[in-house]
Amino acid sequence: MNQSGIPVDLILGKLAEDVEKSQERILKSKEVLLGPLETDIATTPCEIVYEEDRVKLKHYLPLTETKVKTPMLMVYALINRETMLDLQPQRSVVQNILKEGIDLYMIDWGYPTAMDRYLTIDDHVNGYLDNAVDFIRRRHGIPKVNLMGICMGGSFSIMYSALHPEKIKNLITTVTPSNFDTDKSLLNIWVKAIDPDRVVETYGNMPGDVMNMGFLLLNPPRLMLDKYVGYFEKVDDKVFVENFIRMEKWIFDSPDVPGETFRQFIVDCFQKNLLIQSKMELDGKRVDLQNIMMPVLNVYGRFDHLVPPAAAELLTSRVGSKDTEDLCLETGHIGIYVSAKCQKELAPKIAGWLKERDGSEAEAVASPPPLSDKPKIGASPKSRPASTKRKK
Amino acid sequence: MDQDNKEKSGPDAMFAEWMKAASDFWLSAAKTAPFGGLKVPENVQTSAAGYAGRMEEGWEALLKMWQTSASALSSPQTLESLLKGITASPEAAMRIARTTWDGYSQLHQMWLKHAGKLGEASKAYDFEGLQPDTFKEWTAFYEKDIQPFLKMPQVGLARLYQERGNDAVDKFANYQVAIGEFLKLLNIPVEKSLHEMEEKIVELAKEGKLPENFKDYYNIWIKSLEGHYMTLFKLPEYVECLGKTMNASQDYKVAREKVLIDLLQILPVPTNRDMNELYKEFYVLKKKVKAMAKKIEKSESLT
Repeated sequence: MNQSGIPVDLILGKLAEDVEKSQERILKSKEVLLGPLETDIATTPCEIVYEEDRVKLKHYLPLTETKVKTPMLMVYALINRETMLDLQPQRSVVQNILKEGIDLYMIDWGYPTAMDRYLTIDDHVNGYLDNAVDFIRRRHGIPKVNLMGICMGGSFSIMYSALHPEKIKNLITTVTPSNFDTDKSLLNIWVKAIDPDRVVETYGNMPGDVMNMGFLLLNPPRLMLDKYVGYFEKVDDKVFVENFIRMEKWIFDSPDVPGETFRQFIVDCFQKNLLIQSKMELDGKRVDLQNIMMPVLNVYGRFDHLVPPAAAELLTSRVGSKDTEDLCLETGHIGIYVSAKCQKELAPKIAGWLKERDGSEAEAVASPPPLSDKPKIGASPKSRPASTKRKK
Repeated sequence: MDQDNKEKSGPDAMFAEWMKAASDFWLSAAKTAPFGGLKVPENVQTSAAGYAGRMEEGWEALLKMWQTSASALSSPQTLESLLKGITASPEAAMRIARTTWDGYSQLHQMWLKHAGKLGEASKAYDFEGLQPDTFKEWTAFYEKDIQPFLKMPQVGLARLYQERGNDAVDKFANYQVAIGEFLKLLNIPVEKSLHEMEEKIVELAKEGKLPENFKDYYNIWIKSLEGHYMTLFKLPEYVECLGKTMNASQDYKVAREKVLIDLLQILPVPTNRDMNELYKEFYVLKKKVKAMAKKIEKSESLT
């Protein structure tokens, strides 16, 4: 030990050991990184059953006998991709839900191009989403479907359920912002400083890369440094590397958000907080939360830094339904779908909750119009295997 | 006496000092230059040795030229006569040159002043006096002494193009300041966490609890860094700076695209502006058609 009391010799000794270990790791990592790696995401078999513009409706092939009569439609956010729900076989919300005997559909919003910049929230909710719901109703000959929304997709699902309550049997929202008047999330604080008009005039669509940069800035030490230190420390572990790459693939697969949709979401939701006050309007129609009379399950994460409990938990007290439940899981925004603990909790909870409410209401519609006779303009009912690859 | 001091501390004297400093730097660099001490191994072919030799000669010649011009320029009198000698140049160009140099020297002094403060003790999670004056003073200087030239009314056939070009330069300058200020803010937690780390190490050393593992030090530092960022990100000053940077970036993008559109107009390709108009029209038409299709579908299902 030297004069200052700092055991420099010991520290240097340890450092030397670390350097040696790193060297060994790097040599071993060569085999891992240059060898075959399984890093595909969203591999659960599904078929595209409906297409409209860039939007596709996926139907997952069942893994077991159907235990919930009413099919469920999942609506992901426009930010990032729905592939997060099916990252890998052992960490797949999609597979867990299928194993519970739920007939599952999922909207794939695709990759908006410059041509989509004028699409509004109304076009997504009362257009694409409504058409997808109608397609499923017709296909199964039922009056109502179960709807599950994720994050921004949850906000869309709330809007849809309020505007079309006759088509929704049960509503499930997960990590869904409905109350934007909170300073518990940096996002809510920062967004107030953004001029959405200027952003849209400049970029057209909100670029996914710009949004990703914003998300990284929420915690630069952890997201831009520590994460990769952790990666380097286990770079010789094939399974770890595969999972890490899968997550990287998902995180940085960020479609742009259509400009007008972005503008309206920032102004009406983040800046004016209209949704929770039942004051939001889509194409002149008011989104009145009191119209949501169906059962509502609201799931959120206690440590969610993007949609904190304060942003999610108000919903159940504002809807018209008396059958509501809040479920707060001890995790964060992404952990709710990928952590091993939540994997065991989320799907069984959803399935159980739906089974209790499946009832006899899933009766057939008197005479549902035959699908092939009624294709929408610009829409195409299809049935073909889904491609999970990114746009070219 | 005052005059002497002014001369010694004025921008001209500083220019001379800078020239001398630069000259000294290159002189010492030359002494340690790879060519100066280059020993060509015997087994290396003659051509390679010849090449190295030519490089060495070239380097020496360049250095001599620099020394000559630098020593000539480094006296304020020479600079004065040099400036007098180019009075034939347009007055505006002279003003820009002089003003830019003045601005640079002011900025340099501000940086030095700020650099002197870097070593001062730092309290944990205390972000008082966040924004260094450097950027404010530069902005004030830029707006007063440079921007007016870019905003000068343009005349003639190409005036619109010149105006857009100048605007892009102006917006680029604003963006540079904004991003500089933003990055400076982002750097503060790094500085603070390093200071805190130093203090923590001293504290742990006094208590005899110093970790032996390097990773433990890293963990202490990253936790402190995260804490500082979380504090910074909630400050109104940061939010304001973020907004300002985004606005400046967007303004620059818009100005740059206007110049590009000017350039594209001479080519047989549609511009962003043309395409946007088309997209809008297409969107409106498509929406109308979809609404009509829904109505038809409804009426058909009723019959």
